[in-house]
Amino acid sequence: MTGGGSFLYPFLESEETDASALLADLASSAEAKAAESVRLRRTSIAGLADDLDRVATAMAAAFRSGGRLLTFGNGGSATDAAGLAALFASPVAGRPLPARSLVADTAVLTALANDVGVDVVFSRQLIAHGRPGDIAVGLSTSGGSTNVLKAFAEGRRRGLLTVGLAGYGGGAMATCPDLDHCLAVEGQSVHRTQEAQSALAHALWQRVQHEFEREGAP
Amino acid sequence: MWCASPASPHHAQHVAVEFVHPVIVGKPALAAVALPPHDLTASARANARPGDVLVAIGPAGSAGVLDLVRRTPAWGVTSVWIGGGERPAAGVADHVLWLPDEAAEHDGGFILLYHLLWELAHVWLEHPGLLQPDAACEGPVCTTCSDEGRLAEVIEVDGVSAVVRAGQRAERVDLALVGTVEVHDLLVVHAGMAITRLDPAS
Repeated sequence: MTGGGSFLYPFLESEETDASALLADLASSAEAKAAESVRLRRTSIAGLADDLDRVATAMAAAFRSGGRLLTFGNGGSATDAAGLAALFASPVAGRPLPARSLVADTAVLTALANDVGVDVVFSRQLIAHGRPGDIAVGLSTSGGSTNVLKAFAEGRRRGLLTVGLAGYGGGAMATCPDLDHCLAVEGQSVHRTQEAQSALAHALWQRVQHEFEREGAP
Repeated sequence: MWCASPASPHHAQHVAVEFVHPVIVGKPALAAVALPPHDLTASARANARPGDVLVAIGPAGSAGVLDLVRRTPAWGVTSVWIGGGERPAAGVADHVLWLPDEAAEHDGGFILLYHLLWELAHVWLEHPGLLQPDAACEGPVCTTCSDEGRLAEVIEVDGVSAVVRAGQRAERVDLALVGTVEVHDLLVVHAGMAITRLDPAS
């Protein structure tokens, strides 16, 4: 069908059987998105270089004093939080540092979510595990996840170093009074933001490792 | 779709949550599951069905991924392997998505790959006309897969024959040419005979 047909029946496009035009479009679209991902990851690290240095210095000092890193987030950010904890605790090279994620234990997570509510799944764990001098790192692409913000409040009350990684300019995290540091990405999509957050987390880990290399043990 | 990343389980979980709970409102939820990292092969063997897809994430030398992707043809499962650094051997998986830098595992590179995979999967789903089976594989004789040796995994041994899983179906094969086999061994089968037993993955 030609002419007005596709206007009247826009679903006809879904019946097309020639893949070559679509493949070319998809390839260029994917390449553009990959380029944007690389750009946002680089500019986020460069733009936040001073903040990353400050956070890394504070984290290294906390680790030296016996502090432990606790990470948290929801959905994709939960997996990124788990990846960040794994990077600190069992790096391929470098010094292993005490770190774990608060999303790892499904018994604890489901018990808290079912018995109390999903808003407290991280803050209640900080009540159980958080000690003064520990480090709480929360990730939220929107910057507004209630359970992450509640965990920062609990962390602040308990004397933890609180660090937030957020997208969309920081969202509620940008003005959160319970945060010592907020690292905010300016990404305009959840996916590019998550990729940039992961790059920031990696850059943070590199800087903390560098702090230990520079000043030596312990 | 089954997701496996034995060395870094969070990647498999991230892939699964993208497909099950899309970030774009209105996109359909798709069945994707992160396999338990301590029990990858057994869990995949019990759950995977012909036509399923396995997305594995890990370095080229990952023993857990290698054990999965060498078995997926016998299960009738298409394999996709995402990784970085040194590439795995050619042909080890059906599709290989590889980044040159090892740090891609941690710096957002892997995440970019599976974000694009999710997005592109939805584009193809919205163009069903483009998903017709390849004409070369229709009809009584398939030019690429008929009358060839096929990979099979032993389900049950019964003296001189065995029941094996060979792609789309289970079938019984004669063991006269290969001798003793054990459950979960991989065989090459042809015309009702097991003709070779593959060595265990190194």
